[in-house]
Formats: sequence, C-alpha cells, structure tokens
Amino acid sequence: MPLRFENDFLRKLEYLHVVSKRALAGQNRADRLSPKRGRGLEFADHRPYAAGDDYRHIDWKAYQRLNRLLLRLFDEERDLSIYLMIDVSRSMVEPAKFDMARRIAAALCYVGLAHLDRLTIIPFGNDLGHESSPGRGKGRIFRVFEALEQLEASGPTDLRAACKAFASRPRQLGLVVIISDFLEPGSAGGGTAEAIATASTPVKPETTGPQAGLKILRTLGHDVFAVHVTSEHDRDPGVFGTIRFVDVETGAMREIEVTPRLAAAYVKAAGQHAEALAHFCGRYDIGYVRADAERPFEEVILRTFRQGRFLA
Amino acid sequence: MTFATLASWQGWLVLAGAGALAAALFLIKLRPPRILIPSLSLWQRVLDASPDVTRWEKIRRAVSLIVTVLIAIALGLAVVRPSRLVGAGVAGRGRTLIVLDSSWSMLARTQGRETRWDRAIAEARRIAATTEQVAIATTADGLVQGLTDDAVLVESALGHLSPAGYGDTSWPTVSGIESVHFITDGAVPRHLDPSVVVHSVFEPVGNVAITAFDVRSTLGAGRRGPEVEVGTAYLEVANFSPKRQNVHITMVRGKTTIADSRTDLAAGEAYRQVVPLARRGDPDLHAHVDAPDNALDVDDDGFAWIARARPLSVVVVGEHTEWLRRLVSGDPDVRALFVTPSTYRAAGEDVAIFDRWAPSSLSSTPALYFAPPDETPWLAGGNDERRPRWDTPGNHAVLTGVDPITVRLDHARDCSSSLLTPVARSAKGTPLVCVGESADRRAIVIGFGPSDSNLASAPAFPVLVANALEWLGRPQMRDLSLRPGLTSFTEASRVTRADGESVPLMGMQGSAIGLLVAPGLYGVQNAGARNMIAVNAADPQRSNVARTSLTADANVARPRGSLERPWWLACAFLAFVLAFAEWWTWQRRITV
Repeated sequence: MPLRFENDFLRKLEYLHVVSKRALAGQNRADRLSPKRGRGLEFADHRPYAAGDDYRHIDWKAYQRLNRLLLRLFDEERDLSIYLMIDVSRSMVEPAKFDMARRIAAALCYVGLAHLDRLTIIPFGNDLGHESSPGRGKGRIFRVFEALEQLEASGPTDLRAACKAFASRPRQLGLVVIISDFLEPGSAGGGTAEAIATASTPVKPETTGPQAGLKILRTLGHDVFAVHVTSEHDRDPGVFGTIRFVDVETGAMREIEVTPRLAAAYVKAAGQHAEALAHFCGRYDIGYVRADAERPFEEVILRTFRQGRFLA
Repeated sequence: MTFATLASWQGWLVLAGAGALAAALFLIKLRPPRILIPSLSLWQRVLDASPDVTRWEKIRRAVSLIVTVLIAIALGLAVVRPSRLVGAGVAGRGRTLIVLDSSWSMLARTQGRETRWDRAIAEARRIAATTEQVAIATTADGLVQGLTDDAVLVESALGHLSPAGYGDTSWPTVSGIESVHFITDGAVPRHLDPSVVVHSVFEPVGNVAITAFDVRSTLGAGRRGPEVEVGTAYLEVANFSPKRQNVHITMVRGKTTIADSRTDLAAGEAYRQVVPLARRGDPDLHAHVDAPDNALDVDDDGFAWIARARPLSVVVVGEHTEWLRRLVSGDPDVRALFVTPSTYRAAGEDVAIFDRWAPSSLSSTPALYFAPPDETPWLAGGNDERRPRWDTPGNHAVLTGVDPITVRLDHARDCSSSLLTPVARSAKGTPLVCVGESADRRAIVIGFGPSDSNLASAPAFPVLVANALEWLGRPQMRDLSLRPGLTSFTEASRVTRADGESVPLMGMQGSAIGLLVAPGLYGVQNAGARNMIAVNAADPQRSNVARTSLTADANVARPRGSLERPWWLACAFLAFVLAFAEWWTWQRRITV
C-alpha cells in the first residue's frame, strides 16, 4: 500500500517536533539546542577572554562595569540524529501491523525533516538491513516514502543481535526509535509459570530478547524510544477449538485446543508481555508508546505519541 | 454368546467392525485450521503456566478415542442384541430337531418389548450354530425345514416362521435325529418324551384378554318389529396381570359404538358384559380391550356375527301364493317378495320358493319347491301316489320337529331325481320330501302342495318352512364362533377372509379342511348360500401369560439370567450417555 499523507495531516505534523530527553549535539546547525556553546542566538554564560577568542564576542558592557574582559557564550543550535529502526521480520507480516509501523516511521521522519534533524532509517530483523538517510528538509519525505514502501517483512527477529550490529559502527549519539512488535521466538517466555499465573510480578528478561537490545542502545548513551506495535490478533487469538498455530518466523507448529480458559490466559499473557516491556522501558529511562494497529493512525500520532512525551 | 438377529460370527464381526470403523474415522480426523501467529512464545508461556491443561491435552485424545470406540460397540451391541449362552451344556450336537412352540402366547411381549417368539428364534439360532445338522419344526406347522447343515436354509426357515397360534399338529418326527430341543413358554402343557430338551422362553408378564365373545339369542328375539332385540352380545374379559388395572372395553357394531366402558379389574378377575342387540343395525360385531399391562395383542379383539340382523331375502314364485304369504310375511327374519312365474327373474335372493311351478332347470338360488308340475324336466316323476300315508319324519335338518301325522295328503307327486335325495317317504316308499346339495346349488322338493293336502293348516307347515329356509339360506356351521386353526367345512364350500381373499381348502372325505389363521370374520359360501363365521383367539389358557406349565425339572434349560434381559437397551442408553459426555466435554469445553 503506498504511503501518502493528507496535506492537513502534514501541516499538523509540522507543528510537532521530536522530543529528546537529553540534549544531544548534532553535526549540523539546526534549530535544536545542543550542549555545545557556540554561535547560537540564546545567551548561555560568560567566560574570561583568552588569547585567540573572537573579539566580536567580548562583552564590552561587562568590561566597563568590571574592568575585566569577558567573553559572551551562546547555546549552539544543532540538529538531532534520529535513528528509526523498523522491525521487518516475519512477525510484522500482518498487513495492518506492518502498515502502521511504516506510517509511524514516515510521520516521525516528516517531523524530523521539518526540523532539519538528521534521519537514518534502519530496517532490522535478526541483523541490520540497508540503512538509508533521506537527507534534510521536508522535501525529502518522498524519498522516505519510497524507502519505506520498499520494505518487506521477512526473516526472524533478533533485536539484541540487531542492536549489537548497530553499536558496532561509530555513530553520532542521537535518538533511536525502535518500531517493533517486540515478539521474538522464545522471547516472551521470560517469566516463570508461577509468575505468569499470579501476574503480580513484572517479568524482567534483561539478558535475552528485545529488552537486551534496548539495554545495549541505552548503554551506548542514545536516547531510546520504543514504539510497540500490536494488533488485536496478537493480543487475542479469537478462535476456539483445535487450532494448529504456526509461528510465521520459525515455521514451528503447535496444535492447541483453545478453550475459553486458555484463550483468557493467552490474553492475560499478551497483556503481561506489553506490561513487562513498558516496565523495563520505564526502569531504563526508555520512552515507550504502544500503537495498536486497529486504532486510527492520526490518533496514534497526534494523541498517543504526544501523551507519551515523544512528540511535542 | 448368541445374537438375536445374526449368527454368532456375524455378530462378533459387526461388533469388531463397528469398533474398528469408529477408531479409523477418529484417527482420520479433519485437519485443524492453521493460523499464522507472530510468535509461539506467548502460547508456550500460557501452556507452561497451565500444566494441568497440557496433561489433560496429552490424554484427551486417547480418552476420546476410547469413548468413540465404546460408543460404536455399544450401538453395535444394541443392534445385534447379544444374549448369554444359556444351557450351553444342553446345546445341540450332531443331528438335532428344533421344535418351536407356535401358540399365540409366544407373541407375548416381555419387559424388554421383544416377544417370546423373538427369544425363541434367538435360542433356535444358538442351538443351530452349535449343531452339525438341524431340522426345524413348529407345533402348528410341523416340520418346516428338514435336516440340513446349510446355515442359510436354517436362517431362511427361522426368518419366515411366525407363531401360527392354531391347534397343534402331531409331534414332528424326523428319522435319524439324535436330540430334540423344544423351545416353549410352557403356556400349554404338553406331554413330552423325557429325552426332549425343553428351552424355556417364559417370562411372567401381565395380560388382559377377551376370553369369550359371542352373540346369543334371547327370548325377545322372536318378537316382531324392527326395534326389538335380536339377541345379546356376551363378552367376557379377564385380567391376567398380577396387579389391578383399569381396562378399557369397547364394542362396535358395524361403525357404531354400542358399548364403551372402563372398569377396574383386580388380579385374576373376570368381567362379564351383556349388551342387548337391536334387530336394526349392522351384523358385524367387534369388541376390543385395552389396558396398561397387556402383553398379548391377539386376544384383545373379539369378533361376532349377528346372523339375524340381516333378514333373509326370499322370493315366492307362483300364481296363488296367499297360503304362503301369511306365514312368510309375518316372520321378522324374512323379507319376502311375491312374483308370478312370468315375471320371475333371479336377482340374488337368499332363497326362492316355487309354489306349484318350477323353472326348467334347478335354480342356482337355494330353492324350496312345492308340488312341482309333472312336466318339470329335471324330475323323474311317474310314481305318483294317491292318499299316501306319511308316518315317519326323515332324518334331516329340514324335517327336524316336523310332525307328519298332522299332515293329511290326498295326492303326492314323486319328487325323485338324480339330483335329489329323498329324505322322507310315504308308507309305500314314494319320496315325499327330497333335498339336493351340490357345489353350486341347494334345493328342497316337497311332492305335495296346499291343493293336494292340508299342509297350509297343518301344525307341521310352519316348522317345515322355517327349517327349509334355515337350511337353504343359512347353512349352519357346527359352531359359529371358532378358534384359529384347521376347520372343517362342507364339501365345495368357499371361505373368504374379510379382505376378500380366499382361504385355501383341501377336500377330505366329503368335507373341506381350511386353515383359519387369524382371528376375524370369514365368509362361507356353499351351494349358493352365504354365511359368516367369527374366529376368535379367546383362550384363557393361552391368554394367561403370567404362568407356565414348565417345572424345574432337569430337562428344562433354565435360562433367563440378567444377560437374557434386554440389556441391549442399556447399551443404547450407554452409547447415548457417552456421546453426550463426549459432546459436553468437547463442544462445551468444560474440561479445560
């Protein structure tokens, strides 16, 4: 399905900007405050003049008052490096889910491009896919659409391996947005049977599964944001009787007699999975937003993301 | 183990086949729907958290398979109806004669709704299955299948047998027989050879029966007028049930219900009912009883025929018949028509009376001839006698009660003929009254008339005419109410059932023997005369199916354990319960 946004929606996006919890300095000038002092417009501080400093930044009024040469310092406004990691594993093959992920990525890209941020789209499965950087400026959104439309859901998921690959290359610190269903073969287990049955203790599988990947990114110093894309089909099997479930990523089959009790347990387990992910993100200062594929896309962007303090 | 509907090996084959088929169908199950999911990990987590579910899931299939096979086998058992091998020690060996008691009482339903006859057939199959050669006989039909080792012939013979109910024939004998097995309920006591092995199919059950039903004449029957009674219907009902029960009794005349009552009869109590019968109405009577505990149907119906309900149609042919008019017209049982010889045409009347005139040939209608003319071609004639003396009445039904002394004769014509037999002669031997009876006609010729004698005023006249009309129009059976079985009729009779089908008759020494199988009304035609006879199964001995004459002697294969009871019903019920349980656990999924 081609990715296209209405003009009204694009105008709404232009008023938004991506919120980074940390001040990260980019490489290029832009309109985002950075921790660097430089030629910005906003006064930051004074420091004593040293040989070689630019005379134009000497605060002569202060010299008149204090009889000391002081240099005026300004906050330098730089761009932000935004890395959009999109899960393109087979688990995202469900059209509604995958389409929601791509549209979220496109919307975030447009917000970033509108604010001259530096964007990198990184598809991932059990490794990183082909990275694409559309450049800067709103006009590049069509390149983003083109790049996202070419993505196909295939292969297994291993967020930990993908994050390791991401970390293996030197990158500017920035905002890493991971758009995924965070379902991996063997990842949701995470908890003991008793823990699931009682449902009182969140599961903390920090060494395996998607949480491990998120932790790696956080450890690198990036500002990490997790967009959890789910669908009704993931949360509730919606079927009863003897069903042969097939794992789309591994092809493994399991014949299960789905009873109302078992279906309810599944719904509960799916909820706990999302809850555990949210709990983990909160603990490691990772932004978390859940995007249900069945919800209207504009509502997800304009309300959910703003409520999640990801867009402002 | 024996099977009611199949041979032993067939029964086992059916059971094994049913179980195997059910198992095969279970194993070739429909492929469950496939659903693609992002990850099995959530399901794995759910199943790990529910070990009891997975444990049940592991044995669920095996349990379901066992239940399915059990359902199939239970249904198979219900169909083939097995029963335990009874008296295996007295099973047939070598060449065996199996005699089945085919009295009505064998139609009694047991508590399992099968009849004693069904049990007897099953027992016969069991004996035949263990015997090298077998012959089949019934107490009513005699030998129905000679010695054979062909199971198909035996099965065919057993399959075509049914309780005839009528009287026993002589005990069947087959040469070379090594053992004789008699399968009976013991309702009718029999003196059996000590070597005969008796197999009892008796099970005490209650019954209500009509034990007597007949039409009886009453004193008022002779009175004139259409509304007076022609007789009474006598009905006797007995309760052979060990408990008191309410019996519904109905009596229908033609299509009109003339009695409908309910009465409580104690155990062993008999109820008698007399219903007056008006002259006007249909001649056929049907009584029926109904009760809750009533094992035998055949004795619930009684039939009777009111002969006098239908007046005898008589045509009187002659020029001067006034002397007959007063007698014949006054009889309420006679509907008379007076015609002259020139206008006479045979029109299906019951009896014709020819007064001093006779047709050129013997009438096909039963006829009474008074002083036929000399020129009558079928009479020999020539030996007329003047002033004959009639001293002794002949020995014939026509002359019963006739006092010849009161008859004064001036002239008598010789009525002898090759077609007739003199039954009364004058003192000199001149035939005065002749009767003729052949296959198609019946005639009485009286050699004198009113102009030759004082017959019209003699006391013997009305008796003679009444006897003649009765003999001509209503050929009496010895007993108008008969029981099913072999019945003797007058030679050249024709017997038809109520549905119009003829009963085969076999000539035997001047009479005809017919087998009246079922209760009901039968029409009898003889020499142009028609009559109806009622056949009823009323027999207190056979209707009392709560008792048996069998004693616990050594020759009775004492059977009827719990397995002889219709436990196949329990099998059907078990199959239903298992199917319901399977459906409940599977469809409603209450197990997990």
